[in-house]
Amino acid sequence: MNANKIYPWYFSSGAIVLYLLFIVAPALLGIYYSFTDWNSYSSEKNFVGLEHFRTILAGDPTYLLFIKNTVLFTLVTSIAKTVLGLFLALLLVSGVKAANLHRMIIFSPQVLSFLIIGLVFKSLLDPNNGFVNVTLRSLGLDFLAQNWLGSLTWAMPSIMAVDTWKGMGYIMVLFIAGLLAIPRDYYEAASIDGAGFWQKLFKITLPMLMPTITIATVLNITYGLRVFDAVYVLTNGGPGNATDVINTAVYSSFAKGYWGLGSALSTILFVIMAIISFFIIRLMNRKVEF
Amino acid sequence: MKKRFLVSLASLLLVSGLLLAGCNSAKTSEGSGKVTLTFGTSQSGIPRTGIMQTMAKEYEQETGVKIDFQVVPDAQWRDLIKVKLASGEAPDIFNVDVDPLSMPANVRPEENAIDLTNEEFAGRMSEEILPTVSHNDKVYGVSFAPSKIWYVYYNKRIFNELGIEPPTTYAEFKAISEKIKAQDIIPFYQAPASGWYQVLPLFETGPNYEHTTPGTYEKLNNNEMKVADLTQLKTVIEQLKEFADLGYFGKDFLSNTVEAGIEAFGQEKAAMLLRVPGTEKEVSEAYPEMEDNMGFFVMPWGDNQTIGVNPGGSAAMFGNKNSKHPEEVLKFFRWITEHDNLQRVFDGGEGNLTICWPEIEPKLTQDYIDYEKNHEKGTVMQAAVKYIDPQWMDIGKDISGMFAGAMTPDQILQNIDKRRAEQAKVLKDEAWQ
Repeated sequence: MNANKIYPWYFSSGAIVLYLLFIVAPALLGIYYSFTDWNSYSSEKNFVGLEHFRTILAGDPTYLLFIKNTVLFTLVTSIAKTVLGLFLALLLVSGVKAANLHRMIIFSPQVLSFLIIGLVFKSLLDPNNGFVNVTLRSLGLDFLAQNWLGSLTWAMPSIMAVDTWKGMGYIMVLFIAGLLAIPRDYYEAASIDGAGFWQKLFKITLPMLMPTITIATVLNITYGLRVFDAVYVLTNGGPGNATDVINTAVYSSFAKGYWGLGSALSTILFVIMAIISFFIIRLMNRKVEF
Repeated sequence: MKKRFLVSLASLLLVSGLLLAGCNSAKTSEGSGKVTLTFGTSQSGIPRTGIMQTMAKEYEQETGVKIDFQVVPDAQWRDLIKVKLASGEAPDIFNVDVDPLSMPANVRPEENAIDLTNEEFAGRMSEEILPTVSHNDKVYGVSFAPSKIWYVYYNKRIFNELGIEPPTTYAEFKAISEKIKAQDIIPFYQAPASGWYQVLPLFETGPNYEHTTPGTYEKLNNNEMKVADLTQLKTVIEQLKEFADLGYFGKDFLSNTVEAGIEAFGQEKAAMLLRVPGTEKEVSEAYPEMEDNMGFFVMPWGDNQTIGVNPGGSAAMFGNKNSKHPEEVLKFFRWITEHDNLQRVFDGGEGNLTICWPEIEPKLTQDYIDYEKNHEKGTVMQAAVKYIDPQWMDIGKDISGMFAGAMTPDQILQNIDKRRAEQAKVLKDEAWQ
């Protein structure tokens, strides 16, 4: 190996060691623990093979509910954030007044911790004294007032709505950057050819935005699959297990001291995320051609 | 030039930051001679009046040892402390809800708690509480808790105006609740949002199961019967569901918290409330018009008329065996258990009428003494049957699910058995092998 080839390795070796030590090694250890009965009640760690995976995937329907909830949450919030983020971005680059102010306002929830947002929304969505129901009732719309976080029907949609509200600003900023990078020439040429708004959107904007859409989709999906704080703060998985997701189950397993089982749940989540991310990138990362 | 200036400025800020961080840590470290003991607890682990914090400040003035309280919501603390203990990050002093059955598994005292057996104060705690803070003949915890009894407190004025009496059966309970509801008053305050409160009726009425079918507790402990076979327990769960469906817990009660119960009861929005002795003091301090307006009765779910007594069930303090300051922890324990300080903890609390230190005169009123004379007593199920208490919060979630329509009473019972089996397996319990 000549000096030119060694040179970059020399500089990146520190980062590689840190990455191996703090990212790769714990991940591998976690996978190893998922095959053991490691728990807080004993110092022994016995190899149990696929027992935890069998419990999660075939033995207990509750875990399948958690997986289903996670996938549903991911799908709905990813689509909602992408569509709303794109809509807001198109609106803000179209010359709307005070665009920067609007951009800042829409982005601002992103910088807040979900703990704060969760507490605020718990108060707003309180069925008895919350702002939402009080307002609805004061407008004579009593039939619309719901037990937003306490009913089987509304708890999950409420969490999804709050999460979308928080996250769409970030996606909007990504799309604004993507939109501003599209050369104006294409639109001018299209206008000369008589193309309308929808034709420009579907023939120029969306294809040119595909790399940004890919990034936004992967970010939304990986965030959605990893969701914890939104559920934990707003409903703690309730009522019953209606809004529990994989990560609240991981938390609960670790908290109870069932660390082997918790590691197995994390491993399953990791595999799901890796597979979905791989296929999305493969599917969406096509070269844009005109 | 500008770039160089910016780089220099950034480096200067970085170095200053590191130096300041170093100075700051030096101030709080042992190097400064000042010791800070961390004290982790759930919200209900220490009196809400703040007496412990007040006394800790005085202790700091006397000794220079600061007690840093880390108070965590009840629903999270049970789980959090297990993880903290396992990861070696537990506070110097930590509170854990104790009972003789689950304390060894939850605390693993031989590995995590300072041995207090030879401390003078260990011999002064009541005989009743000692098994709940002991393991293998060694004392590990310090408790201020009384034996706990949960009664249904009721608003005498509302009862008198409606011409109703405290119920002794479920049918009567239901009938009076209907009358109260008709007045647009919530008959019974329920608090599922806190995660644990809704579980109380199931297991506090445990002595009734044992009374009806003697030997039930033993059979459950020996895995000779399942919780799902306990028909009386199923009845209680069904009755809770019926109360929810009939609106006797109020509308949208799933968002209610335990903390808000005193307010609802004190403001006469709710006519009944499940609480422990001493509630009268707490309510009347916040709502003086409620003084002498409160009565109590044993909870009549499943036609229960036996008083459920929990010899533990409340928080006890443990010293972290792996603390950097074990001697300071012991000194604090010795100080807080001095007779006068025990009296202050007792007097300054929310209003508990007893404390597990025989040297402190109880404040039980004649009402309680008479009531207890006229009713049988028994040990609550979670203190006598294995693997019930550790899954308390899970059962709470299941009951909330039932209230919301996602689960049936049978599913709740099956889940309890499933989780009992899981824990028995983890603990290698021979009865489950």
